[in-house]
Amino acid sequence: MCQEIDLSKAYGPSEDVVVREIEGEIVIVPLASGIGDIEDELYTLNETGRDIWTRLDGAKPLAAVVRELAEAYDAPAGQVEGDVVGLLEELLVRRMIVEKG
Amino acid sequence: MDKTSPSRVRAGGDLPLVTGLMPAVLEKGRPFRFEARGTSMEPFIVDGDILTVVPLAGSRPRPGDVAAFVHPASGGVRVHRVVKVEDGRYVLKGDNALDADGALSRDQILGVVVRLERGGRVRPVGRGLGAALRARLSRSALVVRLTRRARRLAGARKDRC
Repeated sequence: MCQEIDLSKAYGPSEDVVVREIEGEIVIVPLASGIGDIEDELYTLNETGRDIWTRLDGAKPLAAVVRELAEAYDAPAGQVEGDVVGLLEELLVRRMIVEKG
Repeated sequence: MDKTSPSRVRAGGDLPLVTGLMPAVLEKGRPFRFEARGTSMEPFIVDGDILTVVPLAGSRPRPGDVAAFVHPASGGVRVHRVVKVEDGRYVLKGDNALDADGALSRDQILGVVVRLERGGRVRPVGRGLGAALRARLSRSALVVRLTRRARRLAGARKDRC
């Protein structure tokens, strides 16, 4: 099941994750299953994913995140929006982020 | 922009990952599962075993417990045995190490090992009489001496064959 992403809403990290920057990489440990299992459930984000993740502060609407990234990457907003929405859908399915408002 | 999906990776006992993530996970009150590296707790824990550590949550470690802590000198997370409690401080030592890690405060201990997996099988990690006995053996470094003697004998036998 895929939750609809709303560009007017803000999204932020779930309470059920531990996120750390370790040796320059963002690493995410989901805790939704009740355990922090770094042998079976550990995720990293590439540089682009990291740029998106760090902007998901739970306050800024997603449309503003897309605008910022389009400017930073000098890329068409439509293309950036597709990438951002794609990542958010995956993060939502894995319960790593939640809608904040 | 390139592909942004989160990549699933395996920590494989990587020390910076274990050190960076274990305290944060335990602080949230959740168990932490990871691969053990090294030989300092042999034969009880061997390289590649999968351990689960739980937060202490108000309880106090007891002699015999295998505890995770931040090593005062290296700053890395280690998993060693509580061999003695003295004046409210905890002396930890690897079963296969000659020297103790020093006396730590309760706050320096992150959690205790409650589960050990080896070769896909779960082995019990008790906190009872057996654990207390292991603490005594570890404190006397008897395990180290016996293990090393057994290895020497095995080596000598191999040389003769």
